[in-house]
Amino acid sequence: MKPATSALAKSAAILLALASISCPAQNSPAQTSAAPATSPAPPPPPPPATPTHPAPTPPPTPFNRSVILLDPAHGGLDSGSRISESIVEKDVTLTFAFKLRSLLAARGFSVVMTRDNDAATLPGTPNTPLTLDDRAGIANHAHPVACLLLHATAAGAGVHLYSSELDATPGETFGSPWLTAQAAWVTQSQRLQKNLAQALTRANVPLVLSRASVRPVDSLTCPALVVELAPAGGDNTTLIEGGYQQHVAEVIATALVFWQNQAQPPDRPDSATPTPPVTGAQP
Amino acid sequence: MIPRHQRILFWCLFVCIVAMGVFLFLERKRARDRIGSLADATPIDAPYSNTESVTLDLASDADGSVTATTRPIALPDEIAPRARALLEHLVAEYALPGSPHPLQSGAAVDDVFLLPLPVIGHAIDTTAKPTASGGNTTIPVASTDPNALQPQTTGGELAVINLRSSFVNAHPSGVEVESLTLLSMIGTLHANLPQIEQIRFLVDGQQRETLAGHADLLRTYPSHDTTIAATVPDAP
Repeated sequence: MKPATSALAKSAAILLALASISCPAQNSPAQTSAAPATSPAPPPPPPPATPTHPAPTPPPTPFNRSVILLDPAHGGLDSGSRISESIVEKDVTLTFAFKLRSLLAARGFSVVMTRDNDAATLPGTPNTPLTLDDRAGIANHAHPVACLLLHATAAGAGVHLYSSELDATPGETFGSPWLTAQAAWVTQSQRLQKNLAQALTRANVPLVLSRASVRPVDSLTCPALVVELAPAGGDNTTLIEGGYQQHVAEVIATALVFWQNQAQPPDRPDSATPTPPVTGAQP
Repeated sequence: MIPRHQRILFWCLFVCIVAMGVFLFLERKRARDRIGSLADATPIDAPYSNTESVTLDLASDADGSVTATTRPIALPDEIAPRARALLEHLVAEYALPGSPHPLQSGAAVDDVFLLPLPVIGHAIDTTAKPTASGGNTTIPVASTDPNALQPQTTGGELAVINLRSSFVNAHPSGVEVESLTLLSMIGTLHANLPQIEQIRFLVDGQQRETLAGHADLLRTYPSHDTTIAATVPDAP
């Protein structure tokens, strides 16, 4: 039997956790406090309006078709998964990101990376670790045509492509929640996923397509995919072999050239026909 | 007369032997505690014997698929113990040799809590006296958030799955393997307990950011059919 004291303490902890779930307004500080600090600069606050007023729509989002964001996952103390005795995920993702960056730059893209060395820290503040929300903030500020979150695993084979699990919304709304900002871009993310899948299939790279909830993909305001690199076969060492990584990177870089002209920002049905304010209802 | 250097050598070896003995004793104790925590056989649910056919959504790492599979399993009648037993059977399937989604054996789910939707919170009533058993009295707290969890149909429930840290800490790390575990659990609950509409995960009663570094454990997952066929991309 478990000691009575530990059972009581566990029950109290579960009750507190349930209470925090039940009241989302009292959510964990990691979700609530980090979001405003790292989210893209919001448009000017709307004028005060009564509930009868429609919410004003923001100006169209600049959409830079020549910018690609690469996020080599993990870094620093966070090693990610252990691929083998001597290989950890953070090193594989960084190496793969460097190869991809070179190939994309050769094709005329401007590449933004959330980290370009082992330590994942905020730019200019080497002692401040980079949080997942910080990574999303870097991506959203760049307004890229594609955001690729790079991961690696020893399980499975080939490349695993994941889009957000959020349900697609018809268009961007003013002040969309930080944790569901990707909802307006899910349709574009799925199109990007389809484009990359076709290119990888043509190149005979084993493929897994699915949807997953991997932070910070749900907070990105760009066509975003989680790209998980798995071994070419049963041999995990292929993950650090330059030939295999180079092959996959070339396929992805080429597919992104075609994607560059196909990407479309999410619909903004309200922005085309803004509703004039109801002056009579102003206080 | 024994030379001095031999006496020093003798006592050095003696100290090493004693230190090694102490080290082995401590390691044995740690290993026993670790195994004991994984094989906690404390009876929690009433015994049950009637087997029934249930659907388990089984994942495969090789192709990223989740397939509905029928198994004859004896389950309790009450919903919360039933959900817990379903998840334990699911994880036990993954612990079998040759599993397509190998996970460590041992208890995975500490408990499953079901809350009717819409959810109201509970806070400890500081003004009330402790109960006879020493526990605290709780009072309901209404959520002021307009986006608070709402049911899709009348009677919909939120399931809060409290995972054991021993299971989470030993879970393989990776986007695919972690996502498949969550999808498998969500799909199994959806197939057998349709009144569950939304699912949250805790680890030892606390919120945790990810399962093993990737899959998000902070969000509320909708309960839905998670079966995924093996990937066959569209023709270009």
